Amino acid sequence: MDWQALWLSLRLGLVTVALLLPLGVWAARRLAHHRMRAKGLIEALIALPLVLPPTVVGYYLLVAFGNASPLGGLWQAVFGHPLAFTFDGLVVASVIINLPFAIQPMVRAFEAIPAEVREAAACCGMTPWQALWRVELPLAWPGVLTAMVLSFAHTIGEFGVMLMVGGNVPGETATVSIAIYDRVQAFDSAAAGRMSALLLAFSLATMALTYGFSRRIGRRLA
Amino acid sequence: MPARLAGAVLAALLAAAPAAAAQAPVVAAAADLRFALPEVAAAFALDTGERVRLSFGSSGNFARQIRQGAPYEVFLSADEGYVLALAADGFTRDRGTLYAIGRLALVVPEGSPLAVDGSLGDLAAALDDGRLGRLAIANPAHAPYGRAAEEALRHAGLWPRIRPHLVLGENVAQAAQFALEGGAAGGLVAYSLALAPQVAAAGARIALVPAAYHAPLRQRIVLVAGAGAVAERFYAFVRGPAARRTLRAYGFTLPGES
Amino acid sequence: MASRAGSAAASPEGLGVALAQARPIPLEADFAAAPGEVLALVGPSGSGKSSVLRCIAGLARPTRGRVHIDGTAWLDTEAGIDIPPHRRAVGMVFQSYALFPHLSALANVAAALSHLAAATRRSRAAELLALVHLEGLEERRPAALSGGQQQRVAVARALARDPAVLLLDEPFSAVDKATRQRLYRELAAMRQRLAMPVVLVTHDLDEALMLADRLCLLHHGRTLQTGRPIEVINHPASVQAARLVGQQNLFAATVVEHRPDRGLTLLDWHDRVIEAAPAPAFAPGARVAWMIPPAKVVLHRRDRPSRGEAENPVPGTVIRHLVLGDSTLTTMAVCGADDLALTFTVPVHVAERNRLAVGAGVTVSLLAAAIHVMPADFRGLD
Repeated sequence: MDWQALWLSLRLGLVTVALLLPLGVWAARRLAHHRMRAKGLIEALIALPLVLPPTVVGYYLLVAFGNASPLGGLWQAVFGHPLAFTFDGLVVASVIINLPFAIQPMVRAFEAIPAEVREAAACCGMTPWQALWRVELPLAWPGVLTAMVLSFAHTIGEFGVMLMVGGNVPGETATVSIAIYDRVQAFDSAAAGRMSALLLAFSLATMALTYGFSRRIGRRLA
Repeated sequence: MPARLAGAVLAALLAAAPAAAAQAPVVAAAADLRFALPEVAAAFALDTGERVRLSFGSSGNFARQIRQGAPYEVFLSADEGYVLALAADGFTRDRGTLYAIGRLALVVPEGSPLAVDGSLGDLAAALDDGRLGRLAIANPAHAPYGRAAEEALRHAGLWPRIRPHLVLGENVAQAAQFALEGGAAGGLVAYSLALAPQVAAAGARIALVPAAYHAPLRQRIVLVAGAGAVAERFYAFVRGPAARRTLRAYGFTLPGES
Repeated sequence: MASRAGSAAASPEGLGVALAQARPIPLEADFAAAPGEVLALVGPSGSGKSSVLRCIAGLARPTRGRVHIDGTAWLDTEAGIDIPPHRRAVGMVFQSYALFPHLSALANVAAALSHLAAATRRSRAAELLALVHLEGLEERRPAALSGGQQQRVAVARALARDPAVLLLDEPFSAVDKATRQRLYRELAAMRQRLAMPVVLVTHDLDEALMLADRLCLLHHGRTLQTGRPIEVINHPASVQAARLVGQQNLFAATVVEHRPDRGLTLLDWHDRVIEAAPAPAFAPGARVAWMIPPAKVVLHRRDRPSRGEAENPVPGTVIRHLVLGDSTLTTMAVCGADDLALTFTVPVHVAERNRLAVGAGVTVSLLAAAIHVMPADFRGLD
């Protein structure tokens, strides 16, 4: 059992979720509440990581922030270490590939709030910020939670993109899914088996939780 | 306020990463060193009290990653060509040193219809009479042992015919894993991997492929530009007597010895 | 800073609204409501009533317009003023009530009380719920309340904000008739205490008649006529308005002459001269339109002839006779002009005694004072 890889994966999941929560809530609310002509295109772009092969996503991410890119160069200049092949690079990749998992459930949850309820909040004197905290989030929280749980679980399980963008640097980018791959190549089936079983149990628990909450989204507003 | 708490946690989690950067240097090592190098690293730790982190993969892949700024400090390549190219482009401190010469071996798992014939004569026969299912080698495009396997197969006159039977590993360790557990009839892999205890324990038989069948696998070690003091000490240790003993035990020919 | 009715610096001007836009919904509305007055915005579906209300609340912004309350501008597109809804002191009851489903009735009302100190919010919310007769139901969630109860919570919540104007968007359309009657009575009783202008949107003329001080007729976003409900209904300014308020007896005629000495104007209606209420605005010889409410068409009774029968007698034949509960609705074709139909109502017992039935010959009198003359513009409503 590679505890360092497991801890790395957990840390990556938590940081990803912490970043996606405000970003996702902001984006999901805008998509849910505003009629945009480009809405279909934006939703398609957000959903891209779902259908693209991880290697394609990984390739383009490397192009975007590898050493040769302006962003990568800037990062290196500011922080003294590259963006690719580091934990920070994994975080950036993780946030991007989890956008559909974070945003789509939240958009559905916010859309389910009747427009008149939000208008009533404004007519009660609530600022948009107060309306978010006192009316929208209490009603949409099952969707928000689903989004966060899905993103966390997906991050733990992501392999292809992480390998391409992060390599296999122990303690830095060697996540538990990469560690399993590594153990198999080292003829260490026992360790690979233990870690796989752990991830399987974790994923089952996550899915059960997610589906449980999905049902509550509907009931909340009945 | 929950937002402030979340911000503090986030900062702590992100900070955990740079702290790690002050950790042990990362060594990029060709996959054929998968079993030999951890022993060397353990001896290094005992000797100097300092740790290194090992990352295994194909030499070609590592060379590419180093060009893209990956934070490896030492690179043990299974092919000196990659090291020399990196040196010419300024990614390394110097042109590095030859640390070992590798050998190619035929590995045949238990129950395979192949005979363990290092001259590849039986392989040719198996190809003719249809006994041959799949043969695992590393990917010649970026793994030195894969290139050597292709050269050996060409030398034996088997190359175009045997291509449809090949299953390519992303690096030579994966090829070995395919050969032993992936249902292949056998594999052409690194001798150092074939000598690992797990391979013998799996009931596999091995035979050396004559060195004349392929260009020598001259394995070169180099310090990547920006390497630190611990990396330098490891670089020296690998060329020292203790490491050479380990490498010899894993079937490597050492520079200066035949 | 929200403006409130009764604040020291404000002058009690009430609400003033002037809106104009072409898309997405055409609007050309212009009306005012004084403090304490109930103004009904009436019109068919799609006439823009809800849009007007939303513009007053700040939930929608017209292309051009002004909304001001007690001297303060909430919206002035020319001056670039557009105060967001949460800063307008507006109380709104939505058609679907839009209660917060996750909060109790008390919490729903308290949600609008953020301008009070936290300690007093609960008691004030309870007070407001008592005002709308919902004591004992404070802790119930909206899902556990009936439609009528939800509507009352919505009203209490709208009032909680101490609004400068109260907006009601078809608040009675979602409840059954019995509940609606009760709610009408309660609103009528509560009106005494309301010091702010109230704008009530409805498509139901009877509701407007019952509850409103003034009525504003809207069609395709345009204000057609504003005035006391009975005025608008019995004296519509145009044929279009007359059709909108459901007047059926609409005809064309020509002015013959004015008789100020007798307080009449004479009209030539298909070669029949009728006496109408004075309409000095129309010159003799002018083509006009006229209407008479069904209630002012008096049936000549066989059993009891009366002197009133001398006034504009019109003989004809019954072509339709509907019994609606205790009263009947009868349409007759005018003798000698079969395309002209007059509609009138009489109680069932009168209909029976006079043997009213399809095909029967009848004579009616048109009460001159109720004949209202309008410009002769019969263009269709669309």
